[in-house]
Amino acid sequence: MKIIKGGQIMKKVFALVLALTLMLSLAACSNSAAPADSSAGKSGTDTATEAAKKISILTPYLSSVTTNQMVETMKASMETKGMVVTVVDTKGDFGQLASRIEDVVSSKADAIVLVSADPNQVKTQLQAAFDASIPVFGCDSGFIEGMMVNATSDNYAMGEMMAKYLFEDLMGGKGTVIALTHRPHPGVVKRSEAFDKLLKEYPNIKLITEQHIEVPGPIENSRKVMENLILSNASKDSITAVWSAWDEPAIGATQALQDAGRSEVIVTGVDGNSQAVEMINQDTNLKATAAQNFEGMVEIVVNEMTKMFAGEEITKGEQYAPATIIKK
Amino acid sequence: MNKKINISDLFRAYGTIFAGIIIVIVFSILRPDAFFTMGNLINITRQISLLVIIALGATLVMCVDEFDLSIGALASLGGVVAAKLAVAGVPILLCFIIPVIICFLIGLINGWIVTRFKVLSFITTLAMSTILGGFTFWFTGGATVFQNIPKAFIIVGSKSILAIPLLSIIMVILTFVFWFIMRHTAFGRKLYAIGGNESASQVSGIHVKKYKNLAFALCAALAALTGVLMASRLGSAHPTGGDGLFLQSYAAVFLGRTVFKEGVPNIWGTFVGAAILGILANGLTILQVPTFMQDLLTGCIIILAVIIQKMGRGDSK
Repeated sequence: MKIIKGGQIMKKVFALVLALTLMLSLAACSNSAAPADSSAGKSGTDTATEAAKKISILTPYLSSVTTNQMVETMKASMETKGMVVTVVDTKGDFGQLASRIEDVVSSKADAIVLVSADPNQVKTQLQAAFDASIPVFGCDSGFIEGMMVNATSDNYAMGEMMAKYLFEDLMGGKGTVIALTHRPHPGVVKRSEAFDKLLKEYPNIKLITEQHIEVPGPIENSRKVMENLILSNASKDSITAVWSAWDEPAIGATQALQDAGRSEVIVTGVDGNSQAVEMINQDTNLKATAAQNFEGMVEIVVNEMTKMFAGEEITKGEQYAPATIIKK
Repeated sequence: MNKKINISDLFRAYGTIFAGIIIVIVFSILRPDAFFTMGNLINITRQISLLVIIALGATLVMCVDEFDLSIGALASLGGVVAAKLAVAGVPILLCFIIPVIICFLIGLINGWIVTRFKVLSFITTLAMSTILGGFTFWFTGGATVFQNIPKAFIIVGSKSILAIPLLSIIMVILTFVFWFIMRHTAFGRKLYAIGGNESASQVSGIHVKKYKNLAFALCAALAALTGVLMASRLGSAHPTGGDGLFLQSYAAVFLGRTVFKEGVPNIWGTFVGAAILGILANGLTILQVPTFMQDLLTGCIIILAVIIQKMGRGDSK
């Protein structure tokens, strides 16, 4: 009987080998752009004689709508220029991000783009990229010595712009405010610092509380946070406004306020994501957002990278894409 | 002994290892220049080191048939405590030891609540994870600790001896130490006995509560050490930095259970499990496979390994 089983087991070994090989091969093929060093990797553009440039876009926050939009636009834009692009998302995990940067370095990518992640948190791994002469770009990230360019909004200026608009134009210099933040994010922390500083200049505006919103799932999380804050601030006019450091918590907070019938509470966001803009136009609690110029950032990265590959000189450092206030 | 029986036994005993070898072969064929190199082998050992260390702890707790869901939060806490101490100018050795001791004590509390009040470890450690998450946020103000971290703090996480990363060396030493403890000491055998049949162990005179408490405490200490090493590797500590290791570590332990035919949590099995997960992530990134496909594949491979092992054992438990 055991002998028969041995035969069955052999079949299973074969099935396992086949299944694994098939799965891995499928995965490899699913990346429509084959590795650049194969003949299939040659671009069909006017640079056909050169191997296509392999670009790795890495981010821990792909589930965020804005990061996602940015990554998709960047990928599309790079692909039209004949580059082979891979996107890696580590779902908020910086240990994984560090490992994936190492992998990209050992696979000898032609350039790395770090999206919405503070380079200080993966400094050692980026140093390995610098040592291997792999150019590193940032998009809505930060800038450290050794990188080429980080395209971003001036987050401090945006936080200040929105807080000032809220305090002066929407609140008339008095009332109470709730802040929804996520300080581990490099951009959000700058906006929050601008908010903190400006708040000190308005003695008649009282901060009820600052709440940390979890990522992923910021809309759901901020909605819950707001529902609870509504319960603890039940009387009308006990909350004048909610200052949200980016749009997704503002959306969640607005939904909670609408459900509770608290139409008097003003909400503002930052980012200008499409759902937030729609809510502003629908006369909800959400009154304004600062439109980050994500397309502008992507354009900066792609243009600078193209210049670099063409052998032109580029100016290293932070480059800002200017923001504007969106209101009804 | 018949040759066919040997193949059957061999596969039953080492099916997961075969799977691991096949994965390595496929990656090596597809990208020999980038995957199958000494540099990348070293790279992989460094990348799996943190996962192996935290999963060793999870293995101990699973040996006594319990779960510790707080290991991710413990790792995050360990990392930020170490980084804050380093910034405050505390000697580096103490920066590494203090968080481990703190978390050892937290692990004892976990164990005490589970054994003293007979609360399910699932619930106790889930609650502890929430408490620790809250504490870590309060302690750091939600911000990443990275400014003014002394250079000496990142030595362990970034330096190598004879081209072998210190992290990989620590991983190998700890794996051997815990393998020895679990295999060749009374402590290890008692943990397995408790996991096998708690009441029988109690009747045979094993101090079940004490050993369970120790398993939780060691698990927490290893989680903290992982967090500290992660902070040293990244040169920064993120308030949720260790959280991502939690699910992966249990995936490694479960995969590890399939490595040997006994089907129980075991140290080398966990090591192999973590290595397979690490190799998959590394190889698929090198192949430039999109992230979603990586998740799909990793999940499928874990399920496949477990199914094949069950088929091999001829049971469905």
